[in-house]
Amino acid sequence: MEAAWIAELRAVVGERGIVDDATRLFAYEADGIVLLRQRPDLVLLPRTTDEVSRALAILHRERIPIVARGAGTGLSGGATPVAGGVVLSLARMRDVLELDPVDRIARVQAGLVNIDLSLAAAKHGLFYAPDPSSQQACTLGGNVAENSGGPHCFRHGATTQHVLGLVLVLEDGTVLDLSEPRVDPLGLDLVGLFVGSEGMFGVATELTLKLTKKPATVETLLAIFESLDAACDAVSDLIRARHEPSAIEILDRLTIEAVEASVYAAGYPKTAEAVLLVDVEGSEVEVENSVRAIEPLIRARGAIEVRVAKSDYERKQLWAGRKGAFGAMGRIAPDLYVADVCVPRTKLREVVAHTTRIAREKNLKLATVFHAGDGNLHPNIAYDRRDADEVRRVLEAGDEIMHLCIAAGGSLTGEHGVGLEKLPAMEWLFTREDLATMCRVREAWDPDRRMNPGKLIPMRACLETKQALARPEHLT
Amino acid sequence: MNLADPKSLVEYAATLDCIHCGLCLRTCPTFQLTGNEASSPRGRIYLMRGVAEGEVAGDDPVYHEELEFCLVCRHCESVCPAGVRFGEMMEIARDRSAHTAKRPLLETLARRIGFDVVLPNRALMRLAMSLLGFAQRSGVLARVAPLFGARKDALLALPAVPPTSEREPLGLRSPARVLERGEVTVLEGCVMPELFGRVNRATVETLGAIGFTTRACGTHACCGALHAHNGELEGARSLAKTTIAAFDGVADQGGEPLPIIVNSAGCGAHMKEYGRLLADDPAWRERASAFSARVHDFSEFVAAHAPPDWKPSVDASDGARAFGRVAYDDPCHLCHGQQIRKQPRELLARVAGLECVELANAEQCCGSAGIYSMLRPADSNAVFEPKLAALDESRADTLVTANPGCQMQWQSGIERAGRNVRVVHLAELLAEASRAK
Ligand SMILES: Cc1cc2nc3c(=O)[nH]c(=O)nc-3n(C[C@H](O)[C@H](O)[C@H](O)COP(=O)(O)OP(=O)(O)OC[C@H]3O[C@@H](n4cnc5c(N)ncnc54)[C@H](O)[C@@H]3O)c2cc1C
Ligand code: SF4
Ligand code: SF4
Repeated sequence: MEAAWIAELRAVVGERGIVDDATRLFAYEADGIVLLRQRPDLVLLPRTTDEVSRALAILHRERIPIVARGAGTGLSGGATPVAGGVVLSLARMRDVLELDPVDRIARVQAGLVNIDLSLAAAKHGLFYAPDPSSQQACTLGGNVAENSGGPHCFRHGATTQHVLGLVLVLEDGTVLDLSEPRVDPLGLDLVGLFVGSEGMFGVATELTLKLTKKPATVETLLAIFESLDAACDAVSDLIRARHEPSAIEILDRLTIEAVEASVYAAGYPKTAEAVLLVDVEGSEVEVENSVRAIEPLIRARGAIEVRVAKSDYERKQLWAGRKGAFGAMGRIAPDLYVADVCVPRTKLREVVAHTTRIAREKNLKLATVFHAGDGNLHPNIAYDRRDADEVRRVLEAGDEIMHLCIAAGGSLTGEHGVGLEKLPAMEWLFTREDLATMCRVREAWDPDRRMNPGKLIPMRACLETKQALARPEHLT
Repeated sequence: MNLADPKSLVEYAATLDCIHCGLCLRTCPTFQLTGNEASSPRGRIYLMRGVAEGEVAGDDPVYHEELEFCLVCRHCESVCPAGVRFGEMMEIARDRSAHTAKRPLLETLARRIGFDVVLPNRALMRLAMSLLGFAQRSGVLARVAPLFGARKDALLALPAVPPTSEREPLGLRSPARVLERGEVTVLEGCVMPELFGRVNRATVETLGAIGFTTRACGTHACCGALHAHNGELEGARSLAKTTIAAFDGVADQGGEPLPIIVNSAGCGAHMKEYGRLLADDPAWRERASAFSARVHDFSEFVAAHAPPDWKPSVDASDGARAFGRVAYDDPCHLCHGQQIRKQPRELLARVAGLECVELANAEQCCGSAGIYSMLRPADSNAVFEPKLAALDESRADTLVTANPGCQMQWQSGIERAGRNVRVVHLAELLAEASRAK
C-alpha cells in the first residue's frame, strides 16, 4: 500500500503531476553530467506556486530531502538527488504571466525555457539578454539558481543583473513574495542572495525579469587563426584597446571539427586551429566604427581571414554552431566532462597551453571552447564512462585544471556552479571560516538542510559549524 | 528476441551517441504534453541504454509504454548536436520490444491482419475501403464505432471514402503536357489511391505541367513505412524488397530505372533509407542503396526541375477566393526526416497571386504520425491543439501540407473545431495553379 504522505502529495499535484514508478524515475538519475547518478524516490510536477507550497509543507513534515529541477541541463550535478528523496520538477510551470513592453519587464513561471521568453518578447523588439548555450532547453529558474551566463553576457551581464523579483517557496512551504517593488532592492537584498544559490535556499516559482531592447545593428565577425595562442592574444589586445564587443568566443580545432559534422554546421573552416567569434552591437555608426577598428587588431595577431557575416541567416548559423558545440562532442565519445574555470583574461593563453599539456600527458581528448571575453574557459574532455581508468584520468585532469586556475588567480566555476562535482574543490579555494559563514547563511533559509543536500558547501564545513555552535567551549 | 541478452533488445551502440545535453527536450511533443523526462528523447534513449545495461528490464511495461507514446516525429534529430539517429533507434527498439511485451490477443490479431494482410495488398485494401465507405454512408459506422472504445472518435473522423470512380489506379502512362523533358514514376501508395486519389492525380498533373511523363508502377501497394515505424521490421524488409523489385522494373528506353516521386513524406523518408534497412543483406544492400538514391519527394523534384517558363498562378478573383491566405505546415518526415524545408515554400512563392504566411510552429508534429492517431487518439488530439492555435493566429484561409496523413489530421481537427479553413496537399494547389486559365 502506498505511504500516506505520497497519497497526500498525489492529491495536491494530481495524477499527472507525480512520477513514482522505478522505470520513469530512472530517467531522473542525472543532469548534464551522467557520471554522477542517483535515482530519486519520487518526482513531482506541480503547476502553480500554491501546489509547490502545499507539497513542500508535506515534505517538511515528513523530513524528506527535496531537489528542484528545471531541464536537467546543469553541468555540475546540481539537479542530481544524491540523498534520494523528492525531485520537484518545474517542467510544467512554463507560462508567461505578464509581459510589459513599456516597463520592459516579464513575469514568468520558473519552468519557462530561456529561449521561449525571448521569442515571446520578440514582437515588441525586446529580448531576454542572458543566453546560455543551452538556452533552447534550460529553464529560467535553473538560470537563476546557477546565475548562468552566456556568450552575450560579456556585455549584458549574467543572470543576476536581469532578475528584478522572485516568488519563492521555502522548505516548510512558506511562500515568500519578493516580486515588489520592481526597483533597486530595499533592505537586505534577498533576491540577490537567492540568485546562484543552486537550489539550496528554496524553490523559485515565479520570476520577474528585465527585458532588453534589441540592438539596432549587430555585426558578427569570424576570424580564422592558425594557432590557438594567437587567438588568445587577439582577445587580450581587444580588451586592452578598450573595445566593447557584446561577445567574444573562441573555439579550438577539435570543437570546430565536431560542430562542422553536426546539424549545426556553421561553415567554420575545418583546417583552422582556432576561430574567434565576435559580436558588435549598437547604432549603425557605432557598429561600423567598431568593426573598422577591431578588424586590423585581429589581423595584426595573425588571423588568416576575417569574415563579416553577410546576412542575418549567416549570423544565426555562426552562433548556432557555437551553441551546439558541447553536444556536438557526442560524436567524439559517449560522455563529456565540461570544466568551467575562470582566469584573469591576461592569463588565458598560458592556462590554455597548460590544460592542453595536462590532457596530452593523461592521453585524453581535449576540446576547448571559451567565453574569452570573460576569461571563462571550458576545457571539454571527451571520454567513455564505461572505461574506469579513463574516468579516473578525466577526474584527475579536472582537478589539475582547477588547481592551475586557482594558482593563476582564477576561480573554480565561471557559470556552471559547484553542485556536486566541484564540492571537494571548495576547500581548496575557501578557508574554514568562509565555508562556515556560507553554511550559516544557508541554515538561515533551510535549518534542516533538506533543500538540495550534499551540494555546493562541503558537508564537513557545515558539521563543524554545527558542533561549534552546540558546544561553545570548543570554539577556539 | 532474447531477454537474457538485453543488448540485443536495442541499438546499443547508437544509444552511446547521446551525450545527455537535454537540447532535445523542448521540441518533443510528448515532453511538452507531460513534462515527464521519461517521455522525452533524452529519457527514452536513457531507458534504452538502461535496458541494454541491465538496469531496466527488457519486458518492463512502462518502458514499452514510453516507446509507444513516442510519435517518431524525429524532431529530436533536427536539434540534436550529437547526431543521434533517433528514428532508427526507435524502429529497432520497438521491433525487439514487440517480441517481449505482451499485447492483448485482439490487438495482436488486428495488427496481423492490418500489417500482414491488408496494407500490402491493393485488392484487399480496396475491399476494406469499400466496406468502410458503405459503413459511413449507411450509418452503420456511427452505430458500431462506440464498440471501439477510445478509438471511436478516430474512426468517425476518417475522411469519407470517395466514390469508386475516384478510386481508380493511375493510368499506365500519363504524358507530359508541355514539351517532354523526361520520364518518372510515382509511388501510388497503399491507402492513398483509396482516400487520396485526387492527390495522386494532382501529382501527375503537376509533373506533366513541368514536362514529365509519369509511368505508373502497376499493382505495387505498400512501401513498408508504417511497418518499420511500428516495430514490424521483418514485414518492412520484405516489403522493401517487393518495392525495389517492382520499381526497378519501370525503366526508360535505355533500361535505366526511372526516378521515383513520392508525395507522402513518411513513405519518402522511409524509402530513402532502404539502404540502411537492408544493410545486413548482401544480396540486396547495393540494390537498395541505388534505389534510395532515386527516391525524391514531390516538392524536392518539382523545385529542382521546374523550367523557368513554368508560371503557376491563381487568378486574383477566382484564386483568391479558392485559397486566400495560405500557410504551409512542414510534415515531420519531410523537414526532420528529409531536411526538406525550403522547396515547398519556394514553390508556393512561385505561384502568382498567392498570399503566403508562416505558421508559428510549422515544424512541430500535428499528431498524425502514421497510424498514431488511430492507436492513441487522445494523445494525438492533445498534440494537435497547439497547432490549431498557431493556425488561428496565422489567420490563414488555406492550410497546405505535403503529406496525406497530416492532411487527414488537419482536416478532421479543423472540422472538429468548427474552423472554416481549407486543407490541401501542395500537389493539389500546384496542379490547380498550373491549369490553363
Ligand atoms: C549544451 C549545454 C550548454 C550550456 N551552456 C551554458 C552556458 O553557456 N552558460 C551557463 O551558465 N550554463 C550553461 N550550461 C549549463 C546549464 O544549462 C545551466 O546551468 C542552466 O542554468 C541549468 O538550467 P536547468 O533548467 O537545466 O537547471 P537544472 O540543471 O535542472 O538545475 C540546475 C540547478 O538549479 C536548481 N534549480 C533549478 N530550478 C530551480 C528553481 N526553480 N528554484 C530553485 N532551484 C532550482 C537545481 O536544484 C540545480 O541545483 C550548459 C549546459 C549544456 C548542456
Ligand atoms: S540533444 Fe541529442 S545528445 Fe542531447 S540529450 Fe538529446 S538526444 Fe542526447
Ligand atoms: S521522435 Fe518526436 S515524440 Fe519521439 S522522442 Fe523524438 S521528438 Fe519526441
